[in-house]
Amino acid sequence: MSITIKDISKNFGKFAALKGVNCEVRTGELVALLGPSGSGKTTLLRIIAGLEFAEEGQVFFSGRDVTDHSAYQRKAGFVFQHYALFQHMNVFENVAFGLRVRSARSRPKESDIRARVESLLETVQLADYAKRLPSQLSGGQRQRVAFARALAIEPEVLLLDEPFGALDAKVRRELRTWLREFHNTVHLTSLFVTHDQEEAFEVADRVVIISEGLIQQIGTPSEVRSNPANTFVEEFLDVAQFTA
Amino acid sequence: MAGAVSTFPTRVRTPRRATAESPVVKVVLITTLVVFFALFLVLPLFVVFQEAFSKGVETFLKTFEDRATAHAVKLTLIVAAISVPLNTIFGLAAAWAMTRFQFRGRALLTSLIDLPLWVSPVIGGLIYVLVFGAGGWFGPWLRANDIQIIFALPGLVIATIFVTFPFVARGLIPLMQAQGHKEEEAAMTLGASGWQIFWRVTLPKIKWGLLYGVILCNARAMGEFGAVSVVSGHIRNKTNTMPLHIEILYNEYQIAAAFAVASVLSVLALVTLVVKAYAEWRAERQLMEAMQTSEGPNP
Repeated sequence: MSITIKDISKNFGKFAALKGVNCEVRTGELVALLGPSGSGKTTLLRIIAGLEFAEEGQVFFSGRDVTDHSAYQRKAGFVFQHYALFQHMNVFENVAFGLRVRSARSRPKESDIRARVESLLETVQLADYAKRLPSQLSGGQRQRVAFARALAIEPEVLLLDEPFGALDAKVRRELRTWLREFHNTVHLTSLFVTHDQEEAFEVADRVVIISEGLIQQIGTPSEVRSNPANTFVEEFLDVAQFTA
Repeated sequence: MAGAVSTFPTRVRTPRRATAESPVVKVVLITTLVVFFALFLVLPLFVVFQEAFSKGVETFLKTFEDRATAHAVKLTLIVAAISVPLNTIFGLAAAWAMTRFQFRGRALLTSLIDLPLWVSPVIGGLIYVLVFGAGGWFGPWLRANDIQIIFALPGLVIATIFVTFPFVARGLIPLMQAQGHKEEEAAMTLGASGWQIFWRVTLPKIKWGLLYGVILCNARAMGEFGAVSVVSGHIRNKTNTMPLHIEILYNEYQIAAAFAVASVLSVLALVTLVVKAYAEWRAERQLMEAMQTSEGPNP
Protein backbone atom coordinates (compact mmCIF):
# COMPACT_ATOMS: atom_id res chain seq x y z
CA MET A 1 0.00 0.00 0.00
CA SER A 2 1.28 3.47 -0.82
CA ILE A 3 0.89 6.62 1.25
CA THR A 4 0.25 9.99 -0.40
CA ILE A 5 0.34 13.28 1.46
CA LYS A 6 -1.28 16.24 -0.26
CA ASP A 7 -0.89 19.87 0.86
CA ILE A 8 -0.97 19.06 4.56
CA SER A 9 -0.95 22.06 6.93
CA LYS A 10 -1.19 21.87 10.68
CA ASN A 11 -1.12 24.54 13.36
CA PHE A 12 -0.76 24.24 17.12
CA GLY A 13 -2.27 27.50 18.28
CA LYS A 14 -0.20 30.17 16.55
CA PHE A 15 2.64 27.81 15.73
CA ALA A 16 2.58 26.42 12.19
CA ALA A 17 3.97 22.89 12.48
CA LEU A 18 3.41 21.93 8.84
CA LYS A 19 3.04 24.35 5.94
CA GLY A 20 1.64 22.59 2.89
CA VAL A 21 3.54 19.33 2.80
CA ASN A 22 3.46 16.97 -0.20
CA CYS A 23 5.14 13.60 -0.38
CA GLU A 24 4.67 9.98 -1.25
CA VAL A 25 5.78 6.65 0.12
CA ARG A 26 5.55 4.00 -2.60
CA THR A 27 4.35 0.48 -2.00
CA GLY A 28 6.99 -1.64 -0.31
CA GLU A 29 9.34 1.26 0.28
CA LEU A 30 11.20 2.12 3.47
CA VAL A 31 11.37 5.88 3.79
CA ALA A 32 13.04 8.00 6.47
CA LEU A 33 11.55 11.31 7.53
CA LEU A 34 14.65 13.20 8.60
CA GLY A 35 14.82 16.57 10.28
CA PRO A 36 15.94 18.47 13.38
CA SER A 37 13.69 18.55 16.43
CA GLY A 38 10.70 20.83 15.99
CA SER A 39 10.75 20.38 12.22
CA GLY A 40 7.27 18.83 12.14
CA LYS A 41 8.33 15.30 11.25
CA THR A 42 6.57 13.57 14.15
CA THR A 43 3.46 15.66 13.58
CA LEU A 44 3.37 14.50 9.97
CA LEU A 45 3.74 10.87 11.03
CA ARG A 46 0.94 11.23 13.58
CA ILE A 47 -1.30 12.81 10.94
CA ILE A 48 -0.69 9.80 8.69
CA ALA A 49 -1.58 7.45 11.58
CA GLY A 50 -4.75 9.39 12.42
CA LEU A 51 -3.49 10.40 15.88
CA GLU A 52 -3.52 14.03 14.82
CA PHE A 53 -5.69 15.82 12.29
CA ALA A 54 -4.56 18.51 9.86
CA GLU A 55 -6.38 21.78 9.17
CA GLU A 56 -5.72 21.47 5.47
CA GLY A 57 -4.77 18.78 2.99
CA GLN A 58 -5.45 15.13 2.45
CA VAL A 59 -3.99 11.73 3.25
CA PHE A 60 -4.39 8.84 0.81
CA PHE A 61 -3.69 5.16 1.40
CA SER A 62 -3.31 3.52 -2.03
CA GLY A 63 -5.31 6.33 -3.62
CA ARG A 64 -8.13 5.96 -1.06
CA ASP A 65 -8.88 9.18 0.84
CA VAL A 66 -8.49 8.43 4.57
CA THR A 67 -8.24 12.07 5.70
CA ASP A 68 -11.32 11.81 7.90
CA HIS A 69 -10.72 8.25 9.10
CA SER A 70 -9.80 7.80 12.75
CA ALA A 71 -6.69 5.94 13.88
CA TYR A 72 -9.06 3.18 14.86
CA GLN A 73 -10.21 2.81 11.25
CA ARG A 74 -6.84 3.29 9.57
CA LYS A 75 -5.07 0.55 11.48
CA ALA A 76 -1.63 1.65 10.45
CA GLY A 77 0.99 -0.16 12.53
CA PHE A 78 2.57 2.45 14.80
CA VAL A 79 5.73 2.13 16.87
CA PHE A 80 6.31 4.79 19.52
CA GLN A 81 9.62 6.20 20.65
CA HIS A 82 8.99 5.21 24.25
CA TYR A 83 7.37 1.92 23.28
CA ALA A 84 3.96 2.69 24.90
CA LEU A 85 3.57 -0.95 25.89
CA PHE A 86 0.64 -1.88 28.11
CA GLN A 87 2.35 -2.02 31.48
CA HIS A 88 -0.14 -4.33 33.12
CA MET A 89 -0.09 -6.95 30.36
CA ASN A 90 2.65 -9.46 29.74
CA VAL A 91 4.52 -9.60 26.44
CA PHE A 92 2.14 -12.16 24.95
CA GLU A 93 -0.98 -10.12 25.80
CA ASN A 94 0.61 -6.93 24.49
CA VAL A 95 1.15 -8.54 21.10
CA ALA A 96 -2.27 -10.24 21.15
CA PHE A 97 -4.11 -6.98 21.99
CA GLY A 98 -4.84 -5.90 18.42
CA LEU A 99 -6.36 -9.30 17.68
CA ARG A 100 -8.38 -9.54 20.88
CA VAL A 101 -10.11 -6.18 20.41
CA ARG A 102 -11.54 -7.16 17.04
CA SER A 103 -15.26 -7.66 16.79
CA ALA A 104 -16.45 -11.19 17.50
CA ARG A 105 -17.02 -11.70 13.79
CA SER A 106 -13.49 -10.97 12.63
CA ARG A 107 -11.62 -12.12 15.73
CA PRO A 108 -9.38 -15.13 15.13
CA LYS A 109 -9.85 -18.27 17.21
CA GLU A 110 -7.87 -18.43 20.46
CA SER A 111 -5.58 -21.09 18.97
CA ASP A 112 -4.93 -18.91 15.92
CA ILE A 113 -4.17 -15.90 18.12
CA ARG A 114 -1.72 -18.03 20.07
CA ALA A 115 -0.01 -19.30 16.92
CA ARG A 116 0.22 -15.82 15.43
CA VAL A 117 1.62 -14.20 18.58
CA GLU A 118 4.15 -16.99 19.04
CA SER A 119 5.39 -16.69 15.47
CA LEU A 120 5.70 -12.90 15.86
CA LEU A 121 7.68 -13.30 19.07
CA GLU A 122 9.87 -15.71 17.16
CA THR A 123 10.42 -13.07 14.49
CA VAL A 124 11.56 -10.50 17.05
CA GLN A 125 13.57 -13.12 18.94
CA LEU A 126 11.55 -12.91 22.14
CA ALA A 127 9.87 -16.32 22.16
CA ASP A 128 11.17 -17.04 25.68
CA TYR A 129 9.84 -13.77 27.08
CA ALA A 130 6.12 -14.23 26.49
CA LYS A 131 5.24 -14.27 30.20
CA ARG A 132 7.37 -11.27 31.19
CA LEU A 133 5.96 -7.87 31.98
CA PRO A 134 7.31 -4.89 30.01
CA SER A 135 8.97 -3.57 33.18
CA GLN A 136 11.11 -6.72 33.27
CA LEU A 137 12.59 -6.13 29.82
CA SER A 138 15.46 -4.03 28.54
CA GLY A 139 14.81 -1.07 26.25
CA GLY A 140 15.75 -2.98 23.11
CA GLN A 141 13.50 -5.87 24.09
CA ARG A 142 10.62 -3.52 24.79
CA GLN A 143 10.95 -1.93 21.39
CA ARG A 144 10.93 -5.36 19.76
CA VAL A 145 7.71 -6.17 21.61
CA ALA A 146 6.30 -2.92 20.27
CA PHE A 147 7.28 -4.01 16.73
CA ALA A 148 5.61 -7.38 17.17
CA ARG A 149 2.49 -5.72 18.59
CA ALA A 150 2.23 -3.35 15.62
CA LEU A 151 2.74 -6.20 13.16
CA ALA A 152 0.13 -8.43 14.81
CA ILE A 153 -2.77 -6.59 13.18
CA GLU A 154 -1.20 -7.23 9.76
CA PRO A 155 -1.00 -3.53 8.92
CA GLU A 156 -0.43 -2.44 5.36
CA VAL A 157 1.80 0.40 6.45
CA LEU A 158 4.23 0.65 9.33
CA LEU A 159 4.87 4.02 10.94
CA LEU A 160 7.78 4.41 13.34
CA ASP A 161 8.35 7.46 15.52
CA GLU A 162 12.04 7.69 16.42
CA PRO A 163 11.97 3.94 17.05
CA PHE A 164 15.55 3.82 18.24
CA GLY A 165 15.62 7.20 19.94
CA ALA A 166 15.46 5.92 23.51
CA LEU A 167 18.07 3.18 23.10
CA ASP A 168 21.80 3.19 23.68
CA ALA A 169 24.18 3.22 20.72
CA LYS A 170 24.91 -0.50 20.48
CA VAL A 171 21.29 -1.68 20.71
CA ARG A 172 20.35 1.07 18.30
CA ARG A 173 22.73 -0.24 15.66
CA GLU A 174 21.57 -3.84 16.12
CA LEU A 175 17.94 -2.95 15.93
CA ARG A 176 18.24 -0.82 12.81
CA THR A 177 20.12 -3.59 11.03
CA TRP A 178 17.34 -5.90 12.11
CA LEU A 179 14.70 -3.47 10.78
CA ARG A 180 16.43 -3.27 7.39
CA GLU A 181 16.68 -7.05 7.15
CA PHE A 182 13.09 -7.46 8.25
CA HIS A 183 12.03 -4.99 5.59
CA ASN A 184 14.01 -6.83 2.93
CA THR A 185 12.02 -9.99 3.62
CA VAL A 186 8.54 -8.50 4.11
CA HIS A 187 8.55 -5.28 2.04
CA LEU A 188 5.97 -3.63 4.23
CA THR A 189 5.49 0.02 3.24
CA SER A 190 7.26 1.84 6.08
CA LEU A 191 7.90 5.40 7.12
CA PHE A 192 10.15 6.19 10.04
CA VAL A 193 10.95 9.43 11.74
CA THR A 194 14.48 10.21 12.86
CA HIS A 195 16.77 13.13 13.57
CA ASP A 196 19.85 10.97 12.98
CA GLN A 197 21.25 11.33 9.48
CA GLU A 198 23.41 8.22 9.71
CA GLU A 199 20.41 6.16 10.73
CA ALA A 200 18.28 7.51 7.90
CA PHE A 201 20.94 7.01 5.22
CA GLU A 202 21.86 3.54 6.39
CA VAL A 203 18.36 2.11 6.65
CA ALA A 204 16.10 3.92 4.19
CA ASP A 205 15.47 3.52 0.47
CA ARG A 206 14.63 7.18 0.24
CA VAL A 207 14.98 10.11 2.59
CA VAL A 208 12.55 13.00 3.09
CA ILE A 209 14.29 15.96 4.68
CA ILE A 210 12.00 18.33 6.52
CA SER A 211 12.59 21.57 8.35
CA GLU A 212 10.31 24.21 9.85
CA GLY A 213 7.23 22.46 8.50
CA LEU A 214 8.47 22.39 4.91
CA ILE A 215 9.96 19.58 2.88
CA GLN A 216 13.49 20.52 1.82
CA GLN A 217 14.41 17.56 -0.33
CA ILE A 218 13.29 14.05 -1.25
CA GLY A 219 15.66 11.49 -2.71
CA THR A 220 17.78 8.40 -2.24
CA PRO A 221 20.60 8.73 0.30
CA SER A 222 23.21 9.06 -2.42
CA GLU A 223 21.18 11.65 -4.35
CA VAL A 224 20.73 13.79 -1.28
CA ARG A 225 24.33 13.48 -0.24
CA SER A 226 25.83 14.21 -3.65
CA ASN A 227 23.36 16.88 -4.57
CA PRO A 228 21.85 18.81 -1.66
CA ALA A 229 18.86 20.83 -2.84
CA ASN A 230 19.56 23.95 -0.77
CA THR A 231 21.78 25.46 1.89
CA PHE A 232 19.65 24.06 4.72
CA VAL A 233 20.18 20.47 3.56
CA GLU A 234 23.85 21.15 2.98
CA GLU A 235 24.35 22.60 6.44
CA PHE A 236 22.16 20.04 8.19
CA LEU A 237 24.11 17.16 6.65
CA ASP A 238 27.43 18.83 7.43
CA VAL A 239 26.57 19.36 11.06
CA ALA A 240 25.16 15.87 11.34
CA GLN A 241 28.38 14.43 9.99
CA PHE A 242 30.35 16.20 12.68
CA THR A 243 28.18 15.04 15.54
CA ALA A 244 27.56 11.49 14.29
CA MET B 1 52.58 -5.26 56.85
CA ALA B 2 49.41 -5.84 58.76
CA GLY B 3 51.14 -4.61 61.90
CA ALA B 4 51.97 -1.28 60.31
CA VAL B 5 48.35 -0.61 59.58
CA SER B 6 47.07 -1.57 63.00
CA THR B 7 49.28 0.98 64.79
CA PHE B 8 46.70 3.63 63.96
CA PRO B 9 43.80 3.47 66.39
CA THR B 10 40.53 3.40 64.47
CA ARG B 11 37.52 5.18 65.77
CA VAL B 12 34.22 3.66 64.79
CA ARG B 13 31.30 6.03 64.41
CA THR B 14 27.92 5.95 62.79
CA PRO B 15 27.97 8.38 59.93
CA ARG B 16 25.13 10.85 59.85
CA ARG B 17 23.72 12.55 56.85
CA ALA B 18 24.79 16.09 56.17
CA THR B 19 21.22 17.36 56.34
CA ALA B 20 20.47 15.64 59.67
CA GLU B 21 19.89 17.82 62.72
CA SER B 22 21.65 17.29 66.01
CA PRO B 23 20.40 14.33 68.12
CA VAL B 24 18.73 16.67 70.62
CA VAL B 25 16.54 18.28 67.98
CA LYS B 26 15.67 14.86 66.64
CA VAL B 27 14.58 13.55 70.04
CA VAL B 28 12.54 16.66 70.81
CA LEU B 29 10.75 16.57 67.46
CA ILE B 30 9.94 12.87 67.60
CA THR B 31 8.71 13.09 71.19
CA THR B 32 6.45 16.00 70.33
CA LEU B 33 5.04 14.03 67.43
CA VAL B 34 4.40 10.90 69.50
CA VAL B 35 2.76 12.87 72.32
CA PHE B 36 0.61 14.72 69.84
CA PHE B 37 -0.50 11.48 68.19
CA ALA B 38 -1.24 9.84 71.52
CA LEU B 39 -3.19 12.80 72.83
CA PHE B 40 -5.20 13.74 69.77
CA LEU B 41 -5.58 10.51 67.84
CA VAL B 42 -5.00 7.37 69.88
CA LEU B 43 -6.57 8.48 73.15
CA PRO B 44 -9.91 9.62 71.67
CA LEU B 45 -10.12 6.40 69.68
CA PHE B 46 -9.47 4.43 72.83
CA VAL B 47 -12.12 6.41 74.73
CA VAL B 48 -14.69 5.69 72.02
CA PHE B 49 -14.29 1.95 72.40
CA GLN B 50 -13.93 2.16 76.18
CA GLU B 51 -17.22 4.07 76.51
CA ALA B 52 -18.97 1.90 73.93
CA PHE B 53 -18.33 -1.21 75.97
CA SER B 54 -18.58 0.50 79.40
CA LYS B 55 -21.87 -1.22 80.15
CA GLY B 56 -20.87 -4.56 78.73
CA VAL B 57 -21.09 -6.26 75.38
CA GLU B 58 -24.79 -6.97 75.77
CA THR B 59 -25.72 -3.32 76.08
CA PHE B 60 -23.46 -2.61 73.12
CA LEU B 61 -25.29 -5.13 70.96
CA LYS B 62 -28.69 -4.01 72.24
CA THR B 63 -28.00 -0.51 70.93
CA PHE B 64 -28.32 -1.79 67.40
CA GLU B 65 -31.60 -3.56 68.08
CA ASP B 66 -33.14 -0.17 68.74
CA ARG B 67 -35.30 0.73 65.75
CA ALA B 68 -34.04 4.27 65.34
CA THR B 69 -30.41 3.19 65.51
CA ALA B 70 -30.90 0.34 63.05
CA HIS B 71 -32.61 2.79 60.70
CA ALA B 72 -29.75 5.28 60.98
CA VAL B 73 -27.24 2.58 60.06
CA LYS B 74 -29.35 1.51 57.11
CA LEU B 75 -29.85 5.09 55.90
CA THR B 76 -26.13 5.80 56.07
CA LEU B 77 -25.45 2.71 53.96
CA ILE B 78 -28.09 3.75 51.42
CA VAL B 79 -26.74 7.30 51.14
CA ALA B 80 -23.21 5.98 50.63
CA ALA B 81 -24.38 3.34 48.17
CA ILE B 82 -25.92 6.05 45.99
CA SER B 83 -23.45 8.89 46.33
CA VAL B 84 -20.17 6.95 46.13
CA PRO B 85 -20.84 5.28 42.73
CA LEU B 86 -22.13 8.59 41.35
CA ASN B 87 -19.04 10.44 42.55
CA THR B 88 -16.85 7.69 41.15
CA ILE B 89 -18.34 8.34 37.73
CA PHE B 90 -18.20 12.14 38.12
CA GLY B 91 -14.62 11.92 39.38
CA LEU B 92 -13.53 9.73 36.50
CA ALA B 93 -15.19 12.01 33.99
CA ALA B 94 -13.64 15.09 35.58
CA ALA B 95 -10.15 13.59 35.72
CA TRP B 96 -10.52 12.44 32.13
CA ALA B 97 -11.57 15.87 30.93
CA MET B 98 -8.83 17.66 32.89
CA THR B 99 -5.99 15.46 31.73
CA ARG B 100 -7.00 14.57 28.17
CA PHE B 101 -8.31 17.84 26.82
CA GLN B 102 -6.91 21.32 26.61
CA PHE B 103 -9.64 23.89 26.93
CA ARG B 104 -10.22 27.43 28.13
CA GLY B 105 -10.98 27.55 31.86
CA ARG B 106 -9.35 24.23 32.64
CA ALA B 107 -7.22 25.69 35.42
CA LEU B 108 -10.28 27.34 36.95
CA LEU B 109 -12.21 24.07 36.85
CA THR B 110 -9.32 22.21 38.44
CA SER B 111 -9.36 24.52 41.43
CA LEU B 112 -13.17 24.52 41.55
CA ILE B 113 -13.09 20.76 42.07
CA ASP B 114 -11.54 21.49 45.45
CA LEU B 115 -14.28 23.91 46.46
CA PRO B 116 -16.10 21.44 48.74
CA LEU B 117 -12.86 20.93 50.67
CA TRP B 118 -12.37 24.54 51.62
CA VAL B 119 -15.92 25.66 52.05
CA SER B 120 -17.59 24.85 55.39
CA PRO B 121 -19.83 21.77 55.06
CA VAL B 122 -22.64 23.72 56.70
CA ILE B 123 -22.63 26.06 53.74
CA GLY B 124 -22.65 22.99 51.50
CA GLY B 125 -25.92 21.97 53.13
CA LEU B 126 -27.36 25.46 53.28
CA ILE B 127 -27.03 26.17 49.56
CA TYR B 128 -29.25 23.19 48.81
CA VAL B 129 -31.83 24.34 51.34
CA LEU B 130 -31.82 27.70 49.59
CA VAL B 131 -32.23 26.06 46.20
CA PHE B 132 -34.57 23.15 46.91
CA GLY B 133 -36.07 24.10 50.31
CA ALA B 134 -39.66 25.25 50.86
CA GLY B 135 -38.68 28.93 50.54
CA GLY B 136 -35.98 28.26 47.95
CA TRP B 137 -35.81 28.82 44.19
CA PHE B 138 -37.42 25.56 43.20
CA GLY B 139 -39.41 25.17 46.43
CA PRO B 140 -42.89 26.09 45.12
CA TRP B 141 -42.45 24.04 41.95
CA LEU B 142 -41.22 21.01 43.87
CA ARG B 143 -44.10 21.28 46.30
CA ALA B 144 -46.61 21.61 43.45
CA ASN B 145 -45.23 18.42 41.95
CA ASP B 146 -45.10 16.67 45.30
CA ILE B 147 -41.34 16.14 45.21
CA GLN B 148 -39.48 16.36 48.48
CA ILE B 149 -35.74 16.91 48.38
CA ILE B 150 -34.88 18.73 51.58
CA PHE B 151 -35.62 16.78 54.79
CA ALA B 152 -35.65 13.60 52.69
CA LEU B 153 -33.29 11.07 51.12
CA PRO B 154 -32.57 13.06 47.91
CA GLY B 155 -31.35 16.00 50.01
CA LEU B 156 -29.05 13.76 52.04
CA VAL B 157 -27.62 12.26 48.86
CA ILE B 158 -27.12 15.63 47.17
CA ALA B 159 -25.40 17.12 50.22
CA THR B 160 -23.17 14.06 50.52
CA ILE B 161 -22.26 14.19 46.84
CA PHE B 162 -21.29 17.84 47.23
CA VAL B 163 -19.02 17.18 50.17
CA THR B 164 -17.35 14.06 48.74
CA PHE B 165 -17.01 15.25 45.17
CA PRO B 166 -13.26 16.09 45.16
CA PHE B 167 -11.85 12.80 46.42
CA VAL B 168 -11.96 10.61 43.31
CA ALA B 169 -10.95 13.34 40.87
CA ARG B 170 -8.11 14.60 43.06
CA GLY B 171 -6.66 11.13 43.36
CA LEU B 172 -6.79 10.53 39.64
CA ILE B 173 -5.67 13.80 38.09
CA PRO B 174 -1.97 13.65 39.08
CA LEU B 175 -1.80 9.95 38.24
CA MET B 176 -3.38 10.34 34.81
CA GLN B 177 -1.24 13.39 34.11
CA ALA B 178 1.95 11.43 34.82
CA GLN B 179 0.83 8.45 32.79
CA GLY B 180 0.03 10.48 29.70
CA HIS B 181 -1.97 8.82 26.97
CA LYS B 182 0.58 7.04 24.80
CA GLU B 183 -0.82 3.64 25.74
CA GLU B 184 -4.29 4.78 24.75
CA GLU B 185 -2.92 6.02 21.43
CA ALA B 186 -1.20 2.69 20.86
CA ALA B 187 -4.47 0.89 21.57
CA MET B 188 -6.21 3.18 19.10
CA THR B 189 -3.77 2.37 16.30
CA LEU B 190 -4.33 -1.32 17.05
CA GLY B 191 -8.01 -0.87 16.30
CA ALA B 192 -9.50 -0.67 19.81
CA SER B 193 -12.69 1.35 20.26
CA GLY B 194 -13.03 4.03 22.93
CA TRP B 195 -14.93 1.70 25.22
CA GLN B 196 -12.37 -1.08 24.81
CA ILE B 197 -9.55 1.36 25.49
CA PHE B 198 -11.20 2.48 28.72
CA TRP B 199 -11.79 -1.02 30.07
CA ARG B 200 -8.64 -2.74 28.85
CA VAL B 201 -6.02 -0.01 29.01
CA THR B 202 -7.03 3.03 31.07
CA LEU B 203 -8.87 1.37 33.95
CA PRO B 204 -6.11 -1.16 34.75
CA LYS B 205 -3.62 1.71 34.66
CA ILE B 206 -5.49 3.81 37.19
CA LYS B 207 -7.27 1.20 39.29
CA TRP B 208 -5.31 1.72 42.50
CA GLY B 209 -5.54 5.47 42.33
CA LEU B 210 -9.25 5.09 41.67
CA LEU B 211 -9.71 2.71 44.60
CA TYR B 212 -7.83 5.12 46.83
CA GLY B 213 -10.20 7.93 45.88
CA VAL B 214 -13.29 5.77 46.24
CA ILE B 215 -12.30 4.68 49.74
CA LEU B 216 -11.73 8.23 50.91
CA CYS B 217 -14.99 9.25 49.28
CA ASN B 218 -16.84 6.45 51.05
CA ALA B 219 -15.33 7.25 54.44
CA ARG B 220 -16.38 10.85 54.14
CA ALA B 221 -19.81 9.93 52.79
CA MET B 222 -20.58 7.77 55.80
CA GLY B 223 -19.06 10.15 58.32
CA GLU B 224 -20.34 13.49 57.01
CA PHE B 225 -22.13 15.56 59.64
CA GLY B 226 -22.33 19.25 58.80
CA ALA B 227 -23.83 19.38 55.33
CA VAL B 228 -26.12 16.44 55.99
CA SER B 229 -27.25 17.96 59.29
CA VAL B 230 -28.58 21.06 57.54
CA VAL B 231 -30.67 19.22 54.95
CA SER B 232 -31.74 16.35 57.17
CA GLY B 233 -34.16 17.92 59.62
CA HIS B 234 -33.19 15.18 62.09
CA ILE B 235 -36.37 13.18 61.70
CA ARG B 236 -35.93 9.98 63.63
CA ASN B 237 -36.52 6.81 61.60
CA LYS B 238 -36.57 8.93 58.49
CA THR B 239 -33.66 11.26 57.85
CA ASN B 240 -31.19 10.50 60.61
CA THR B 241 -27.87 9.14 59.43
CA MET B 242 -25.37 7.59 61.83
CA PRO B 243 -23.38 10.74 62.65
CA LEU B 244 -26.63 12.66 63.29
CA HIS B 245 -28.00 9.83 65.36
CA ILE B 246 -24.87 9.81 67.51
CA GLU B 247 -25.44 13.44 68.37
CA ILE B 248 -29.08 12.82 69.30
CA LEU B 249 -28.20 9.86 71.51
CA TYR B 250 -25.50 11.90 73.20
CA ASN B 251 -27.83 14.82 73.81
CA GLU B 252 -30.31 12.43 75.34
CA TYR B 253 -27.66 11.22 77.76
CA GLN B 254 -27.58 7.75 76.22
CA ILE B 255 -23.81 7.91 76.43
CA ALA B 256 -23.08 4.19 75.98
CA ALA B 257 -25.39 3.97 72.96
CA ALA B 258 -23.88 7.09 71.41
CA PHE B 259 -20.41 5.67 71.76
CA ALA B 260 -21.52 2.27 70.52
CA VAL B 261 -22.66 3.82 67.23
CA ALA B 262 -19.55 5.97 67.21
CA SER B 263 -17.39 2.89 67.59
CA VAL B 264 -18.89 1.39 64.45
CA LEU B 265 -17.96 4.53 62.51
CA SER B 266 -14.51 4.37 64.08
CA VAL B 267 -14.03 0.79 62.94
CA LEU B 268 -15.02 1.94 59.48
CA ALA B 269 -12.36 4.61 59.73
CA LEU B 270 -9.73 2.09 60.79
CA VAL B 271 -10.60 -0.29 57.96
CA THR B 272 -10.50 2.65 55.57
CA LEU B 273 -7.08 3.55 56.88
CA VAL B 274 -5.67 0.08 56.21
CA VAL B 275 -7.21 -0.29 52.75
CA LYS B 276 -6.21 3.27 51.96
CA ALA B 277 -2.60 2.66 52.94
CA TYR B 278 -2.48 -0.38 50.71
CA ALA B 279 -4.18 1.32 47.76
CA GLU B 280 -1.95 4.36 48.22
CA TRP B 281 1.13 2.15 48.12
CA ARG B 282 -0.04 0.44 44.95
CA ALA B 283 -1.08 3.76 43.38
CA GLU B 284 2.34 5.20 44.14
CA ARG B 285 3.95 2.25 42.40
CA GLN B 286 1.74 2.80 39.38
CA LEU B 287 2.79 6.44 39.37
CA MET B 288 6.48 5.52 39.65
CA GLU B 289 6.16 3.06 36.80
CA ALA B 290 4.44 5.70 34.71
CA MET B 291 7.25 8.17 35.34
CA GLN B 292 9.92 5.58 34.60
CA THR B 293 8.49 4.36 31.34
CA SER B 294 7.63 7.77 29.96
CA GLU B 295 11.18 9.07 30.28
CA GLY B 296 14.59 8.47 28.90
CA PRO B 297 16.64 5.37 28.11
CA ASN B 298 16.01 2.10 29.84
CA PRO B 299 18.38 -0.54 31.16
